[in-house]
Amino acid sequence: MTERTFNRVSPLQDVALQGRFGADKGAVGVSFTVRHPMSIVTVIARAGQGAATAAALKGHDAQWAGSDQWFVLAENRGEGALYRELKAKLGGLASVSDQSHGRVIIRLVGPRARAVLAKGTPVDLHPDAFPVGKSALTQMAHVGVHLTRVGADSYDVSVFRGFSESFWEWITEQAEEFGYQVI
Amino acid sequence: MLIPCPHCGTRPVEEFTFLGDAAPTRPTTNDPSSMEAWYEYVYLRNNPRGPIEEYAHHSGGCRSWLVVSRNTETHEVFGAVTARDFSKAKEAKA
Repeated sequence: MTERTFNRVSPLQDVALQGRFGADKGAVGVSFTVRHPMSIVTVIARAGQGAATAAALKGHDAQWAGSDQWFVLAENRGEGALYRELKAKLGGLASVSDQSHGRVIIRLVGPRARAVLAKGTPVDLHPDAFPVGKSALTQMAHVGVHLTRVGADSYDVSVFRGFSESFWEWITEQAEEFGYQVI
Repeated sequence: MLIPCPHCGTRPVEEFTFLGDAAPTRPTTNDPSSMEAWYEYVYLRNNPRGPIEEYAHHSGGCRSWLVVSRNTETHEVFGAVTARDFSKAKEAKA
């Protein structure tokens, strides 16, 4: 039997069109990229196994997503590959579920990325309070988001797939005053 | 109101869903003689003016159940602990 394969389509494929938008003078304030396709796996530690699970996730791109919970991310992995790997690795320690089809990750890079995000969330994004690698769960424009600082001027925002289009409209509107580009 | 979530730090009240008074204790028996206690647990609530401890779900954040202690009169928030720690402390007291 041949293994069935299918192409994953980003829900923002026809929405996040490339180009430069908003204020058109000077350098762009923020660049948007839709990270696609991604492997996204939720790991929730069993009672009392938080520290052991965190230790077992060393070496993975594991982002804090609640008390004893993580989103583990990977690029360029086959369908379900990361899920199967973690499931085998964390047996007995944590519950593992594949969210790759359920969430969309938008990356913001640029000198005004923080200013754009600050319009939507009460989370303190100053580097002293929100250093590289830190994640927060919050809401922007009434949409629940998982926000991670991935670099000095870059952030990942992960939202549910079904909210991604309206979230995209909102966040690009916030970026218009700074000028933005979609890559 | 700003609520100090033990997992997320200080967040605005809009991110939380309140369930109600955390004081009632669930009876541990189904014995018919406990019906009065069940009635109290299910239906009767105080409506205090002043300090209260309430269950709150951080629905717009880490999705943890918390117990927030606050003052209904002044809106002052004294603190928040996880519901797990709250019931452990309650059991230790009992």
